[in-house]
Amino acid sequence: MRAFEYVRADDIGAAVALVSGDPAAQYLAGGTTQVDLMLKDGILEPERVVDITRLPLRGITADDRTLRVGALTTMEELAADPTVAERLPFARTALLAGASTQLRNMATIGGNLLQRTRCRYFRDPGVPDCNKRTPSSGCAAITGAGARMHAILGAGETCIALHASDLCVPLVALDTVVRVRGTDGERRIPLTEFYLLPGDRPDLETVLRHGDLVTAIEIPLPPAAIRSGYLKVRDRASYEFALVSVAAALTVEDGTITEARLGLGGVGTIPWRARAAEQVLTGAPATVETYRAAAEAELRAPFTVPGTAFKPELARRTIVRALEELGGDRT
Amino acid sequence: MTLTRPVVVGAGVDRVDGPLKVAGAAAYSSDITLPGMVHVALVRSTIAAGRITRLDTGAAEQLPGVLAVLSHHNAPRLAAGPTNNLGPTPPPPLQDDRIRHHGQYLAAVVAEKPYQAAAAARAVTVEYERTEPVLRIEDPAGELRTDPFGMDATRGDAAGALAAAEVVHEATYVTAENTNNPLGLFATVAQWSGGRLTVHDATQWTSNTCQTLAQMFEVPESAVRVYAKYVGGAFGSGLRVWPHVVLAVLAARTVGRPVKLVLSRPEMFTGIGHRPNTVQQLRIGAARDGGFVAIEHEALQTVAMDDENLEPVAASSASAYACPNVATRDRQRRLNIPCPGSMRAPGEAQANFALESAIDELSYLLDMDPLDLRLRNYAQVQPQFGLPWSSKALRECYQVGAERFGWSRRDRRIGAMRDGRWLVGYGMAGVSYLWWQVHCEARATIGSDGTGYVRSAATDIGTGTYTVMRQLSAELLGLELDQVRFDLGDSNLPWSPQAGGSGLTGALGNAVHAACRELIRTFLRTVVNDSASPLRGCTIDDVAVSGGRIHHRADGKLGESFVAILARHGLDELTADGVSDPPDPQEVGMAPAGAFAAKFVEVHVDPDLGLLRVPRIVSVVDGGRILNEKLARSQIIGATVGGVGQAILEETVTDPRTGRIANANLGDYLVAVNADIGEIDVTFVGEPDQLTPLGTKGVGEVGLPGTAAAVANAVYHATGKRIRSLPITIDDLLG
Amino acid sequence: MSQDSRNARAAQPAAGDAGTVRVTLTVNGADHELLIDSRVTLLDALRDELALTGTKKGCDQGACGACTVLVDGRRVLSCLTLAAQCDRRQVATIEGLSSDGRLHPLQEAFLRHDGFQCGYCTPGQIMSAVALLHEGRTGSDDEIREFMSGNICRCGAYPNIVAAIREVARQGAR
Repeated sequence: MRAFEYVRADDIGAAVALVSGDPAAQYLAGGTTQVDLMLKDGILEPERVVDITRLPLRGITADDRTLRVGALTTMEELAADPTVAERLPFARTALLAGASTQLRNMATIGGNLLQRTRCRYFRDPGVPDCNKRTPSSGCAAITGAGARMHAILGAGETCIALHASDLCVPLVALDTVVRVRGTDGERRIPLTEFYLLPGDRPDLETVLRHGDLVTAIEIPLPPAAIRSGYLKVRDRASYEFALVSVAAALTVEDGTITEARLGLGGVGTIPWRARAAEQVLTGAPATVETYRAAAEAELRAPFTVPGTAFKPELARRTIVRALEELGGDRT
Repeated sequence: MTLTRPVVVGAGVDRVDGPLKVAGAAAYSSDITLPGMVHVALVRSTIAAGRITRLDTGAAEQLPGVLAVLSHHNAPRLAAGPTNNLGPTPPPPLQDDRIRHHGQYLAAVVAEKPYQAAAAARAVTVEYERTEPVLRIEDPAGELRTDPFGMDATRGDAAGALAAAEVVHEATYVTAENTNNPLGLFATVAQWSGGRLTVHDATQWTSNTCQTLAQMFEVPESAVRVYAKYVGGAFGSGLRVWPHVVLAVLAARTVGRPVKLVLSRPEMFTGIGHRPNTVQQLRIGAARDGGFVAIEHEALQTVAMDDENLEPVAASSASAYACPNVATRDRQRRLNIPCPGSMRAPGEAQANFALESAIDELSYLLDMDPLDLRLRNYAQVQPQFGLPWSSKALRECYQVGAERFGWSRRDRRIGAMRDGRWLVGYGMAGVSYLWWQVHCEARATIGSDGTGYVRSAATDIGTGTYTVMRQLSAELLGLELDQVRFDLGDSNLPWSPQAGGSGLTGALGNAVHAACRELIRTFLRTVVNDSASPLRGCTIDDVAVSGGRIHHRADGKLGESFVAILARHGLDELTADGVSDPPDPQEVGMAPAGAFAAKFVEVHVDPDLGLLRVPRIVSVVDGGRILNEKLARSQIIGATVGGVGQAILEETVTDPRTGRIANANLGDYLVAVNADIGEIDVTFVGEPDQLTPLGTKGVGEVGLPGTAAAVANAVYHATGKRIRSLPITIDDLLG
Repeated sequence: MSQDSRNARAAQPAAGDAGTVRVTLTVNGADHELLIDSRVTLLDALRDELALTGTKKGCDQGACGACTVLVDGRRVLSCLTLAAQCDRRQVATIEGLSSDGRLHPLQEAFLRHDGFQCGYCTPGQIMSAVALLHEGRTGSDDEIREFMSGNICRCGAYPNIVAAIREVARQGAR
C-alpha cells in the first residue's frame, strides 16, 4: 500500500531502460497479480510502476508453423483467435478454464507466464516464514494447514508454492518460446527453461533479469493429425485454480503413440513438462496400461505434505483419464 | 378482520426495493458518504494467544493524512454492552494488552483517505509475548463447557433403551467451520454531533445496535440513531455489535469528524462470527420394524475466549422424531479463535447433517427405504411436550417431494445407477426447524390523502421484509400496494427484534397486524358518535376494509373512506401502534412449530477423479402461510445453495500452529458459484400456522439444513462411501 | 508489434508529482478529469471520487465479481484495475445502464425473476450479463452458468439469475 509513482510507457525501449535502471521499479500490465499483491496484500512495494498496457505488444499472427502472440494480448483475445481454436484447441480449453471472463479480459499472456503463486502464506505479510519472500526464513506452508493448492512436483522443504497457470500447461507441452527484451536487446527463451525450481532460492522464479520485458510468445503449431485435450480437476465447478490439470497431445498411428506431449498443472512449482511420462508414451501402444505407466513414471517421487497427500494419486488418475480420452484404449 | 381470503398477500409481487437494487441505487452502509468524512483501517494480531509487549504507532502517526491511531494505550475504557436474547455483547476492543485470537483488533488508524489509513495501519509495529494457543476442538487444554444453553433434553432412558435395542447405529460426524461471507463488506459510518450519535451499519438489528452503543458510550438511547436501510447480506453475522462497529464510533468521537470503516474481506473472516465446527456422536436404537427406541445426540462445538455464542446443536434432535427415549447434550470448547456466531440455520445446519446421515445409515442396517424409515417415526405430536403441533405438514413434504423428485425410480442397490462415467446417487433428508419468535413493535398511519405508512426498526437483509410487510399492510388496511409505504432500517422507528432465527416475518408481521387493526379501531373510535358516518357504533368485528374504505362486513356499500373520515374530523392523519409477543405454548395448548422441509438430492460422482456434482435438488417446505411465494421461493433456493456450499465446498481452515486462518479470502474459501448449481425445485405445502393470526412460519433458514445430509446420503447411494465429515471433497471420494 | 526502439521516446510520468496522477475517465459517456493518488483503483475512483456507488466492493481481490464494469466494452474487475490505467478509456457502470428512467431489459428481467436478494452483487451480475450477451455466451443454461461464474451471489440467486439472462437472450435484446 506504499505510495508509488505511476508512469505510462509509450515506447518499449524506454520502458525497458527505465525499469532496468531502477531496482524499485516494476512493470504493470493486466494487474490481476500485480495490483493484488501491491495494493491488497502489500507483498510488492515498488516505488515506481511502469504501465506497459499501451505498448504495441498486443496481437496475434500466425504462419504455417508458429503462432506468435504479443505479450499484451489478453487471455480472452487469445481464446477467441481462430488459429487457436483450430490448431491449439487444448490451449483454448485451458484459457477458458482459467479465472473468470472479467479476469481473462484483463490478464495478459505475458502476465500469465509471470503470475505469482497463490500460496496464502506467501501472500500474507503477517506470516514471517516464507522463503519466497524472505530467503532462509522458512516455509510456513509446509507445516501449515490448508496446503491443498500447493505443489508436489519440483517442491521441497524450502517451498511448495504452486505455479497456478492453466495456460502455461499446454504452452510448456508445446515447446513454446518466450521472447524477452532486455537492455542488451532481444532473446528467445524456451518456456521449459524459463522457470527456476525453488531449490535453495525460492525467491528466484525465472531466468529473467530485473527490467527484462516479455514481448511475445511463439507457439510452434503441432501437426494437424495430433489430438489434444486439457482436463482440469478442481473442487468448484468453475472460477478456481486446478488441483490437478493435464494438457496432453497425442498422435496415434496404427495403435502406437508416435508423438506425445504432456504438461501438468496444479502440481508443480513451475508449469510442469512431463518428460518422463512422454518417454514412456512415445512408441508405446495406446493402451490404458501405457497411460498408467506414464503417469507412474512422472509421479515417482512427489513431495507431499498432509494437505497434498491425495494429489499424487489424483494426478495419476487425471493423466490416465486425459490420455484415454485422446488415445483410447487399444488393449 | 382476518386474513382468511388474502388478496395482496401470497401473490408473487416483485421485490419493492428491486428497482433501486438493479439500478445500483440502493445505498448500503459502505455507500454512505458524509461531508468531511475520514477513514479507519485496522491493525490485527498476528498471534493467537499472549500479550502485547510493545505497540509503536510513532511511524504511522507521521504518515500523510493520518489523524489518530487508537490502541489500548490511549483508547478510553468502555462500558460493557447489554446482554440480550442471543447472549452478551462481544467484549469491547482495545481495552487491554491480552491477545485472545489471531486477527484480534489491536489498533485503529484514522486518516483522510482509505489508502492512507491502510498504509499507516501497516506501519504500526507490534511485539508480543506469545503463549501456547489452544486451537483444536479436541484439545483438553481448552475449557469444556457442558450444557451451555441449559437446553440439554432427556426423555425416558436413552442409555438403557440403546443397550436393549435390536439394532443400533452409532457414529461420529464432523462439520467444518464455515464463514458467513455475505458479499457486502461490513461497513460502519459513524458521526457524533453535539452529543448525538448517528450510525449507518450493516446490521440485522438496528434496535440492538442502538441500545448497545448507547450503553457502551454511556449516552441515552434517544441520542443514538442507527440506520440499516440496505444490508448486503449477513446470514447471521449482523446479529451482534462487533468490535469494529465500536471502533468506528470511537474513532469518530476521537477525531471529531464522521468516519467510515469498511472491513476487508480477510477481516470478514475474523471479526463478525462464523459457524463453529462440530464433532457429534449419534446413537440411534431401533426395533427390527424400524421404530426408533432411543436417540442419543452429543455435540461438541467451539467457542471463543471471553465470549459466548448461543448455538444449540444437539438440542434439535429431541423434537425431530417420535421416540420414547432421548438424550441430547451440547458442549462447547473454549479456544483461541475468533468468536463463532450465528450463520444461517445455526446449530441445525450441523445437527441435521449428523442426525439425518445417521438415520440414512440406520435404514441400510434395517434394509428399509430411508423415506419409509422417516415416515415410520413421524412425530405426529411434539414429542418433548406431548402437545399437538401448531402446524405440521412434514408428511406432505415427504410425499410431494418424493413425487416431484421421482424417488420411486431410485434403484436401492449401491452404485447401480449410472450416467456414462458418472455414478448417480439419490439421497434425502428431513428437516424439523425450531420455532423462534420474540417481541416486536410496529406503527401504522393513514394520512389525509388516504395512503398508509407502516414502519418498524426491522431490517431487510435480502429476505424481502420491505416487500412482504408492504403487501401485508396493504392487505390489512384495504389499500393498493402502491398506496402503502413500509419503512424499516432505522432504530428511531418502533422497536424490532433481529432479522434472524427465521423469526422476523412472524414477529413483525404480527406486530404490523396488531398496528393495522389498532389503526382501524382508532378510525372507528373517531366516528363512534359521528351521526354522519355509516360506521358509527361499529366495532372492528363488524367491519372489513377494501378500496381505501372501512365498510360493514355484511354490506360493502355501507361504509366510508379513510379520506372522508379524516376530512370530516379535520385530521391530518391517524396513527396507531401494535405489539406482538410470542404466545405461551402451554396457554394455547399447542407446541409452536417452526418450518418443516424435505430435501431430495441427486448427485453425480466420477469415482476415478473424485468429482462430485449436484445437478438436481427438490425441496418441499411447510412454511405456514406464505406471504409472497416468489420471494419465499428465493429464500429456499438461496438457502439450498448455501447448503450445497456446506456440503461440498466450504471450510474455514485454521493453521494449527498459529491460529491464523489460512484461507481468509474468496479465492481460497470456496462458496458455490453459478456453475455449481443445477436445477433447484421448490414447492410449498401446508396450512397457515395456528399459533398467530398471521399464520406464517419463517422460511429464511429451513432451506439450508437437510441439503448436506441429503448430499452425503446420495453420495453413499452412488458410491458406497459413507462420508461423515463436511465438506465432502475430491480427496474423500478418490479410490 | 514493432520492436524498433531506435526512435525511442522517453516514457512520461503521467503527472508532475510522484504519487499522484492526472486521469481523464469517461464514465457512462461523461468525461471526468481527476487528480488522484496513483494507488486509487478504478473501483475506488468510481465510488469515492465520482460518487458512483452502484459498483460494489465485495472482496477487493478479484475473487467475487461485485465490482464488474465494462472498460472499452469488455467486462473487467475494477478492483484490480488502477484508475490511472483507464485514462481516456470508456467506462460503463450500472448507473449508465438505464436510459431516461427506463430500465435495461436485463434489469427488468432480474426484477421479474427475482435474480437477487440482498442486491449487493446485483450491479456486478447485471454488468457481467450485459457483456455476456455481447459475447454470445447464452446458448444454453450451462453456458450461462459457466460464463457467469465470475460473479458470486452469496444469497444464492443463481437459478433466478440464469432464468433472467436466458429470457433476455431469447428475446434477442441487447
